[in-house]
Amino acid sequence: MTSKTTIPVHLDINGQHHTLELEPRVTLLDALRDRLGLTGTKKGCDHGQCGACTVHVDGERVLACLTLAAQAEGRAITTIEGLAREGEPHPVQTAFLERDAFQCGYCTPGQIMSAVACIREGHAGSDEEIREYMAGNLCRCGAYPHIVAAVRQAALEAAS
Amino acid sequence: MTVRSIRHGDASDGGADAVGGRLSRVDGPAKITGAAKYAVEQQLEGLAHAVLVESTIASGKVRAIASKAAEAAPGVLKVLTPDTIISLRTASDWFGTPPPDKPYCPLARDITFSGQHVAAVVAETFEQAVAAAALVKVSYDETPAIVDLSDGKAGDGIPVDAMTKEWGDAQAAFASAPVRICAAYNTPREYQAPMEPHGLIARWEGDHLTVWEPSQWLDGMARTYAEWFGVPFENVRLVSPYIGGGFGSKALALGHGAVAACAAKMLGRPVRLVMTRPQTFTGYGGRAATRQTVTIGADHDGMIQSIVHRGVNETSIDGMWVEPLGSVTSIMYATPNFSSKQNVVRVNSVVPGAMRAPGENPSAFGIESAIDELSYEVGIDPLEIRLRNYAEQDPEAKKAWSTRQLREAFAAGAERFGWARRTPEPRSMRDGNQLIGWGVAAGTYPVRRAYGEAIVRILADGSVEVESSSIDMGQGTYTILAQTAAETVGVSADDVVVKLGDSRFPRAGVTGGSRLAGVMTGAVHKAATAALDQLVGLAISDPRSPFHALQANTLVVANGRITAPRGDGPDVSISELLESVGRDRIEAVGDTMPANSSAEDRYKNYTTIAMALPHTEGDYSRHSWCAHFVEVRVDEDFGTVRVSRVVSALDSGRLYNPKLAESQWKGGIIMGIGQALLEEGIMDRRHGRIVNNNLADYLVPTNADIPDIEVISVGIPDLHSSVLGGKGVGELAIVGMAPAIANAVFHATGKRVRDLPITLEKLI
Repeated sequence: MTSKTTIPVHLDINGQHHTLELEPRVTLLDALRDRLGLTGTKKGCDHGQCGACTVHVDGERVLACLTLAAQAEGRAITTIEGLAREGEPHPVQTAFLERDAFQCGYCTPGQIMSAVACIREGHAGSDEEIREYMAGNLCRCGAYPHIVAAVRQAALEAAS
Repeated sequence: MTVRSIRHGDASDGGADAVGGRLSRVDGPAKITGAAKYAVEQQLEGLAHAVLVESTIASGKVRAIASKAAEAAPGVLKVLTPDTIISLRTASDWFGTPPPDKPYCPLARDITFSGQHVAAVVAETFEQAVAAAALVKVSYDETPAIVDLSDGKAGDGIPVDAMTKEWGDAQAAFASAPVRICAAYNTPREYQAPMEPHGLIARWEGDHLTVWEPSQWLDGMARTYAEWFGVPFENVRLVSPYIGGGFGSKALALGHGAVAACAAKMLGRPVRLVMTRPQTFTGYGGRAATRQTVTIGADHDGMIQSIVHRGVNETSIDGMWVEPLGSVTSIMYATPNFSSKQNVVRVNSVVPGAMRAPGENPSAFGIESAIDELSYEVGIDPLEIRLRNYAEQDPEAKKAWSTRQLREAFAAGAERFGWARRTPEPRSMRDGNQLIGWGVAAGTYPVRRAYGEAIVRILADGSVEVESSSIDMGQGTYTILAQTAAETVGVSADDVVVKLGDSRFPRAGVTGGSRLAGVMTGAVHKAATAALDQLVGLAISDPRSPFHALQANTLVVANGRITAPRGDGPDVSISELLESVGRDRIEAVGDTMPANSSAEDRYKNYTTIAMALPHTEGDYSRHSWCAHFVEVRVDEDFGTVRVSRVVSALDSGRLYNPKLAESQWKGGIIMGIGQALLEEGIMDRRHGRIVNNNLADYLVPTNADIPDIEVISVGIPDLHSSVLGGKGVGELAIVGMAPAIANAVFHATGKRVRDLPITLEKLI
């Protein structure tokens, strides 16, 4: 019964190709976490309200809980696990550690994915702008001032 | 006193690795790369998925549960109802009180609140379980519900005699006081809303249960699971490597955990159950709604003569939660006459629970608002009136403070904030159409102490391993225990591996009440000292040791190397020494329990809160203290309030890691901003249901709501509070934030808001 309700879905995640047999209703988030063991992308609300599941699809930030896995077929998906380059953490990751921009760490992958996109979008020009463009990622531990500091630091590094 | 003269007690002259150093989180690399696996992220073979079905009425009985359609749905393995779930035994409470000898069913037939678990569906995939759960139809015989504290049926409630505090003759002194103020202060239902929802994976192997679950208290939760299923405590293993926020909500085993463990047992397969975000609003309790009346009698100089305080908090129909509303009221200010009493009122709600500084938080909203009102009544600066009524000793316990750097906090905060430039009149400061208000309030939290246990191993490669069943939910346990072991043994923090979050490790009590850091640094310090003593003992006495011929009394271990105190002997690494004496490791258990403690005492200490040490034990009263200075900007036309500046000075004693402590303080301040301006469970009064049970409608602060926040440490080491001199950090900073903001809003607008949150309709 189950086999008849699934479809093959080809996903390009962090430069690797995966083929999964999925029911069409499976979200990108659940495909990443439950089918592929890529649990760095977090589920905080499953309703697009918290930002913990933020990933990049074709370079843009996307909420994986509001995206069906099948919708991401043929597009380049980047998750927190794919952000490092040649074993070196991304400057945003380093800035988060140095600025202590997290506590429990659960919103952190989503914050970092948002921050990378925020800088790339050119929305990290001032603290005010960073606060506004990072407002879709909730952090209940209250690391916001340090997140702003980390994004500012990484944005300056990227500009120099 | 100036800021510069204060000893902060940190290791500003030492390295980051030492206790007091600003070492970055040692668990940080795992968290920024996504490598950190949280409890429910374990990938297990044969995992089944459970989804809860909840009551849609607040009061009544389940008439029938129609589950046939769900059972027939694709992938469904089982539908659990009160009739089909296996029977459990009632477990003891967190004091360890022996439970009544009756069965416990985590799925309800008798409904006492909306959102109660009534059924669960287990299926092969998460999607199948979600779809099938929607097919379960529950019918009810509904009865009228008591919706909340303001419900006409709620009544005055039940007196909680243990909360009564009285000295002098408060009523008479109030009646004869020349200045009298009296006001009522309300706080709504609030929710912890950790970013990681509650959930677990349960797996049985014979009569052994493993539970991967975010937990603030592995040993306490293991005890509950063991009692529910009637298996020995040792048969239950709790695993909780990282916790995505708790704020008090993840300390106890809850009904959903029982459901998942039952399902796993019934199916003979591991089962994962994670609450949906809406379920987290009713699957366990948030902060109880509270009502307080504070009356203060004073003289014209603002000197308090009497405080009469009455409080009420909501609890559930069949559970008991007391939010101690007189806890700050009774100690913040010196008063010769005092009376505080409290009732609890039963409403159709899930039993409320612990949320960051339970008791102290709403208590401070009452007294710190009331003294601000008094300051305007007598025309004295709000900071000055607090200093005039400064409690030089604990007014309730009549004992000296162990340390109380509150005066220093007021001074440091006021200087940094620029309080002297404040003009006293409400509505006297503005910037265009924005009314500017400056407010101050104090906060406090008791030092809760307990006993802890840890193991420290010095391994063949010279590295050090620490194990404890305590946990890190972001406070920094991994990091400060690495620093403690590194400093004590004499190695770099890079060479220390800390393992937490597994109940197989040496035991720890609850991570709550800001007690863990003080307890566990003490235990690790003791274990590491014992391990170091063994290492040095071997180096001195073992005939194979290169130090044997030296006949030294002691040796120095630093940076992972062993030398003689005068530097006149060999210089070998820990690893070389162990090799020379033929040892692959040195191991020591550190345990801060009294030496004659029985096995029963130990079990009780780690699995209940019955053995916690009173903060007023012996000669001293032990508390953390803080002073918040807040600037708000209120739009004169729209009544919108923005917090534009915060300076807080805090006394948490010695800070084990200032970088991480500052983060926790700021987190508390930010949650306090949410409490003051945003957070409120909103009730549908027809159905007794929380309607804003999600993160879009229950407003927690976003990045755009939060200004720059400056925190200043004014603490000094307090050795009456902990082995290494620290006091509580985590809960302190939220206490006093909401009244500081309310006081600033009054200064801005001339309107006193006594009902949280301060929303715009209360100002226009």
